[in-house]
Amino acid sequence: MAMPLIQIESVFVAYGNPPRAVLAGIDLEIEEGSFVCLLGQTGCGKSTLLRLVLGSERPLRGRILIDGREHHQPDSTRGYVPQRYALFPDRTVLDNITFGPEVSEFGLAGRLRPAFYRRRKELRDEAFHYLRRIGLRESDASKYPHQLSGGMQQRVAIAQALINRPRILLMDEAFSALDSGTRREMQSLVRELWKSTGTTLLFVTHNIDEALRLGTRVVVLAREAPELGSRIAMDLAVPDPCAQEDIPSLMDRLERVSCPAEAGGTVTLSV
Amino acid sequence: MSAGFLLIHARPGRVWSFALSWLLFAAGIGAYLWVSHARHLDNPEDRVTPTLTQMAKGMYGAVMRSAEEDEPTADDAGFRTRLTHSMLWKDTCASGRRFFYALALLIPAVILGLHMGLFPYVGQFFLRFVLFFDKIIALSLLPILFIAFGIDELSKVMLIVIGVTPTIILDTFNLTRGVPGEQVVKAFTLGAGDFDVAYRVVLRQIAPRVLNSIRLNLKAVMLFLFAGEMIASTDGLAYRIALLRRHMGMDVIIPYVLWVALLLFLVDFGMRLLNRTLHPWFEEA
Repeated sequence: MAMPLIQIESVFVAYGNPPRAVLAGIDLEIEEGSFVCLLGQTGCGKSTLLRLVLGSERPLRGRILIDGREHHQPDSTRGYVPQRYALFPDRTVLDNITFGPEVSEFGLAGRLRPAFYRRRKELRDEAFHYLRRIGLRESDASKYPHQLSGGMQQRVAIAQALINRPRILLMDEAFSALDSGTRREMQSLVRELWKSTGTTLLFVTHNIDEALRLGTRVVVLAREAPELGSRIAMDLAVPDPCAQEDIPSLMDRLERVSCPAEAGGTVTLSV
Repeated sequence: MSAGFLLIHARPGRVWSFALSWLLFAAGIGAYLWVSHARHLDNPEDRVTPTLTQMAKGMYGAVMRSAEEDEPTADDAGFRTRLTHSMLWKDTCASGRRFFYALALLIPAVILGLHMGLFPYVGQFFLRFVLFFDKIIALSLLPILFIAFGIDELSKVMLIVIGVTPTIILDTFNLTRGVPGEQVVKAFTLGAGDFDVAYRVVLRQIAPRVLNSIRLNLKAVMLFLFAGEMIASTDGLAYRIALLRRHMGMDVIIPYVLWVALLLFLVDFGMRLLNRTLHPWFEEA
């Protein structure tokens, strides 16, 4: 069997003084091309796990291998779409999208070379292609991020990450600040882009419905007791496409594992 | 006038807004003219509150005649020659030169603050020292500066630099720290290197705020400049004001004060305009 793209090996993370465990012994393997949703309640450490994969944080114990290698800082193998501050406020939509290829191909002095301007023209054409693909009008290209709605901003952020063709795309509660209608649209957009690009997606969310609609696999993080770090409480393969009538029963199962403390109450209510 | 007059929900009309905003100016000028008039009735030789004609005459002299310590310009010289040899011209140039040297020396301060905020080792190396330096009253260093650098240009520019750069460094440092971590991480995931992040992401983003911070510190720059000029100088606007105080030359001092205010206003206004042109994306809070 081929080696998994992301290997998380008995990772342990603690914060604060005295240290309080956040993640306690996480083992996870993610195959190339899968769409994994990390699900859990606020504060369960799912964003921490994402940051570990991103490389902006390091585990106290254990290690994370991407394509068999440890990475100690974020780089272009992993694209990133955060919940907020995803776009550079000082650049137009078009410049935001072309930023990735521009900085990876040209250094600080690269602007002085004529090749830069030739290449930028090509990149702009490509950016327009992405712009149409994410459903923005050409007239939006010269707008600044603050002139766009939240949903539009996240669309641009996705295009910005995808133009670099990262092998892995990490999305941290990317749609949590959006209203439900926009969120649905974004979900189908991401699903579509995932299928057409073949990128491995790791998507953090606290919304069970979202996780089921998006992922091919849902990994639930939960604490067994408040003083313990989170573990993987459930690792669920989601049928593709997830049938509408399966969602309530799956949701019920996920709800029970994601908040074990309240599980008793949930069960009695559902009976 | 409705019930809400003078209260939070009041909405003054255009005429009211205009009249109210100029009222204090009118009152100030009126009060001055009245006092001046009364004093001149009492003593026609009064030098404390010169009349408008006296000030106009004093200013004409400052603009059209050379300073006392210089060679007088020939009476038949053209307007241009007389202007460029005048006292006001010479003082403005001298002060302006020091002012812009000091502003230029703020650029390294901004760069240092940026690096301190982004690179932990640079931050650790400089931060404590800059914080310490920030607490030193620059004016109390003045004698030391005069001893160390002599009483010529260098010591005056150094006074401004020592007085203002710690503030600018710390402000840039804080602004850099204030850039959301997501932005830095995002830039790295898009293939940027450390210096791309510093100069193409963070510096660009904080630039308008840094410029605003420099604008707020223009007054401090002027303060140190004037202190230096008043104590040890042979030209400059503050030198002239200090010199004329000995002669009770209020007819020139008052216009000079207004001239300095106008210059400072113009520099500030120019920087605001520059900020708006360079950073159209920036919304002033």
